[in-house]
Amino acid sequence: MLNDFLILMKQELVITVIIFILLFIKVGSKDWKNEALLKLINILLLLNVVFSFIGNQEGVLFNEMFKTNNLISFEKGILSLGIFIISLSSYSWLQNHKHVAEFYMLLLSTLLGMFLMISSGNLLLFYIGLEMSTIPLAAVVNFNLDKKQSSEAAFKLIISSAFSSGLLLFGISLVYGATGTLLFSELPQTLTGTPIQLLAFILLFAGFAFKISVVPFHLWTADVYEGAPVAVTSYLSVISKGAVLFVFVSVLYGAFKPLATTWYNMLFILSIATIIVGNLFAIRQNNLKRFLAFSSIAQVGFILIGISGSSQAGTASVIYFILIYVFSNLAAFAVISFISAVTGKETIADYKALYTTNPFLSWVITIALFSLAGVPPTAGFFGKYFLLMAGTGIAGSKGLIIWIIIAALNLIISFYYYLRVVKAIFMDANETPIEKLSIPFLPKIAMIICVAGIVLTGLFSFIYEYIFSLSSGF
Amino acid sequence: MNAIEILFWLLSALAIISAMMVLLSKNPVHSVLWLIAVFFAISGHYILLNAQFLAIVNIIVYAGAIMVLFLFVIMLMNLNKESEPKRNFWRILIGIISGGSLLMILVSLIRQATEINNKNALMESGNIGLIKTLGKLLFSDYVVPFEISSVLFLSAMVGAVVIGKKE
Repeated sequence: MLNDFLILMKQELVITVIIFILLFIKVGSKDWKNEALLKLINILLLLNVVFSFIGNQEGVLFNEMFKTNNLISFEKGILSLGIFIISLSSYSWLQNHKHVAEFYMLLLSTLLGMFLMISSGNLLLFYIGLEMSTIPLAAVVNFNLDKKQSSEAAFKLIISSAFSSGLLLFGISLVYGATGTLLFSELPQTLTGTPIQLLAFILLFAGFAFKISVVPFHLWTADVYEGAPVAVTSYLSVISKGAVLFVFVSVLYGAFKPLATTWYNMLFILSIATIIVGNLFAIRQNNLKRFLAFSSIAQVGFILIGISGSSQAGTASVIYFILIYVFSNLAAFAVISFISAVTGKETIADYKALYTTNPFLSWVITIALFSLAGVPPTAGFFGKYFLLMAGTGIAGSKGLIIWIIIAALNLIISFYYYLRVVKAIFMDANETPIEKLSIPFLPKIAMIICVAGIVLTGLFSFIYEYIFSLSSGF
Repeated sequence: MNAIEILFWLLSALAIISAMMVLLSKNPVHSVLWLIAVFFAISGHYILLNAQFLAIVNIIVYAGAIMVLFLFVIMLMNLNKESEPKRNFWRILIGIISGGSLLMILVSLIRQATEINNKNALMESGNIGLIKTLGKLLFSDYVVPFEISSVLFLSAMVGAVVIGKKE
C-alpha cells in the first residue's frame, strides 16, 4: 500500500517536497542570495523534469479518488518541462526580485493543483485541484508589486475565476443531485441526457471554457495577460491552459461520453467564434503580451476542433499540439520576457529592426512565430495538421467539412498578424533599435531548448506515434 | 398539516421574500442585512432536513463571518446616490432578456426533471447531515481532498503575506 502510494503519486510528492524545501529556506535564519537560490531551484526543477518522465506506473488509489496511467504521467511530464523552461527564461526578471522563494512556492503549488486535477477520478478532487491551480496564481500575477496594472490584473483574475468556479460548482452539484455519484468512472452509466443533466453539463462546460478562455468567456484574458509579469503571462497561457485542456479532453471523452452530440454541437459553435474573435482582435494589438493573449485564444479554437474528433487521434493530436505549443509559445515569451526585464519595452514598434542589433533573439522569436502560425518545416504546422485531421473524422462518421474550411481560412488570417511582427523585426527601419543585449546563460539555454523542441518535435515522427500509442482507449 | 410542513412553508416564504428584498432595497447595507435573513431561513431548512452541522456552519461562516466582511467593505467604500452608475436602457434590456431566458430554462427544467419529481426529502429521518456521519466520511472516503486543501491554504497564506507585506 505504502509502496503503491509512493510510486503512483511520485510526481506529486516530488513537487510537494520542493515546496517544503522552499518554505524551510524562506523561514530559516540563513539569508540566501538570489543567484544561489535561483541556481538551486533550477536544479531541483530539472530533477523534477527527469523524475516525471521515468519510472511511472499505472494504477488507482484511495477508492478511485486518484488515478494515473502512462498518458497522464506524460501530460504531467509536459507540464514539468514547461515550468522548467519558464523558470530558466524568467531568470533576468527574478534576479532583482525580493520574493524569489515565494514566487516558486506559489507557482509549484499551482502545478501540484494541476497534477491532482489531471489525476482526479472524482469531481471533488478535480474541483480542489482546479482551485489550487488558480488561487495562488492570482497572487503571482500581482508580483510586479510596485505596478498598479499588476494588481488590477490579479483582481480581475480572481474575480473572474471565482465566477467561473461558481458556475462549475453549480454544475457539479446538479450532476450529483441528478446522478448520485461524483466518480468519473460511474458517471457514463448514469448520464442519460435528461434536461437537468444537460443544464449541469453546460454549466460545467462553461466553467472549463472560462479557464481556457473560449470566446464568450475570454474577456478577462487580454487584461490579465497584459498586467501580469511576463513570466507569469507565459505560465498562464501555456501551463494552466494546457492542464485544463488535458482534463477537458479526458472528462469529455470519459465521464460525459453519453452526451457526445451535445458537446459536439457546442464545440462547433464555440470553436468558430473563438478562432474568428481571437484572430480579428489579434490583428489590432500593438502590445506583444496582448497580441500573444489573443493569439492564444485563437489557438484554443483550433484545439477544440481536434477535441471534437472524439477518437484516439483526437486525444493524441491535442496532446501533441500542446507539447508543440509549450515550446513555441515559451520561445516567444522567453525573448519577450528577457527584453522586457532588461529594457522594459513590450510593443511591436519597439521591436522594429531588432535584427540589426540582436540577431540571435530575432531568430528565436521568428522561429517561434512561424511555429505558432504553422509554417511547414516547424512543428506548429504538423500540430495544426493533426488537429484538423482529427476534426475531419469523428469516430465512424465524417466531421463537419464546413468547420474545417472556416478554420483553414482563419489560418491564413493568422499568418498576417504573426508575420507582421516578423516584418517589423527584419524589414522595418528604425532610428533607435533596442541596443545590443548580452544574454545570460540560463535564458539562453531556455531559448535553445525551445527552438530545438520546435524543430525536432516536427521532424521526428516517433514523438507523435508515441503519444498516439499512449492515448489508445481514450 | 403538521408542524414541520408549516415550518417549511414559513421558512420558504421568508427565504424568498428576503432574497427579493436583497435585490430591491436601495441601500446596500440593507441588502446585506436581508441577505443574513436569507441565510437564517436556509439554515432553518437544513435543520428540518436533520443536517445540524450544516445549519450551524452556515450561520457561523456565512451569516457571521462573511456578512460582517461584506458590511465592512460596503461601509469603507462609502456608496451613495452620486457614485451609482448611470443605468443604460440597452443594458437593462439585455439583462432582462438573458435573465428571463435563464428563468424559463430553469422552470421548464424542473417541470421535466424526472430525477426529482415524486421524490420526497427525508424530513427528520435522514442522517446524512449528522456530524458523526460527516466526520466518518471526511476522514475515510474524502480524506485526500481534505488533506490537499491544507496545501491550498498554505499557498493562499503565502500569497496574502507577500502581497500585503510593507516593504
